[in-house]
Amino acid sequence: MQVNLFDLATKQAQWLSVRQSAIAGNIANVNTPGYHALEVEPFAKVLDGNRVAMQATQPNHLVGGAGAEAVAVRSREEQGAAVLPSGNSVVLENELIDAGDVRRSFELNTAIVKVFNRMTMLASKG
Amino acid sequence: MDPLSTALKVAATGLTAQSERLRIVSENLANAQSTGQTPGSDPYRRKTISFAAQLDRPSGTSFVEVAAIGHDRSDFPIEYQPGNEAANDAGYVKMPNVNVLIEMADMREANRSYEADLQVIKQARELISMTIDLLRSQQ
Repeated sequence: MQVNLFDLATKQAQWLSVRQSAIAGNIANVNTPGYHALEVEPFAKVLDGNRVAMQATQPNHLVGGAGAEAVAVRSREEQGAAVLPSGNSVVLENELIDAGDVRRSFELNTAIVKVFNRMTMLASKG
Repeated sequence: MDPLSTALKVAATGLTAQSERLRIVSENLANAQSTGQTPGSDPYRRKTISFAAQLDRPSGTSFVEVAAIGHDRSDFPIEYQPGNEAANDAGYVKMPNVNVLIEMADMREANRSYEADLQVIKQARELISMTIDLLRSQQ
C-alpha cells in the first residue's frame, strides 16, 4: 500500500499545532486554582481514526479538538505529588519540555516535506 | 481558527493575567506603609487576585482571565507610634496587612509565569514561520 507522505505530514503538523495550543493553555493557566493540565492524545491514535471526540462546554470537560476536529484533547492523568494545594496540576517544567519536543518534531516535519517536495519536483522535471 | 493562532491568543491572555497580578503586587508594595488619616482608622488593606480558566468554545482551549480582585481579610498588625496621626489614644497605629516577603515571592512567581508565556508565543511564531518557509526557496 502506498503511503501518502504529504497527507501524513499534514496530519502530523496539525496534531503538533493542537498540541502546542494545549501546552499554551496549560502554561497560561499555571497559576489558576483547580485547573487540570490538558494533554493531546498520542499521534498513533489519531492515525487509527476511529475515536469519539466529545463537545466541551466547561473547562473541566473532555475537550474535542482545538479547531481540528480530528484531534482530541483530554485532561491529563494526575500524578499525585504534582498537584498543588490549590488543585492545579500543571508542572511548568514538563510543559516546557513538551514544547521543546513539539518544536523539534515540527522542524523535522517541515524538513521532510521540503525534501519530499524537492524529490517530486525532480521527478516531474526530469 | 487554526491551533497555532489559538496558542498565540491563549498565551496572550496569560500575559495579560500575569501583568494584572504584577500590578496588584506593586500596589501592595507601594502601600506597605500607608496608614490611615484619622486616629484609630484602618490602614491600606492588602489586595489579592485570583485567576480562572475560561473555556473558548470555538477552539476548545482554556483561556485564563482574572476571576476577582479581592481584599485580604487578615488582621492588621499594630505598632507603637505615638507621633503618628493615625495613632489611637494609647499610641498604637494599625499598619497595613502587607507582608513584603510574600509580595516579593508573588512577584517572582508572576515573573516566571510571564516568561513561560513569552516562550510559548516565541515558539508558536517559530512554528508558523517554519510552515511558511515551506513555500520559500524551492525551485
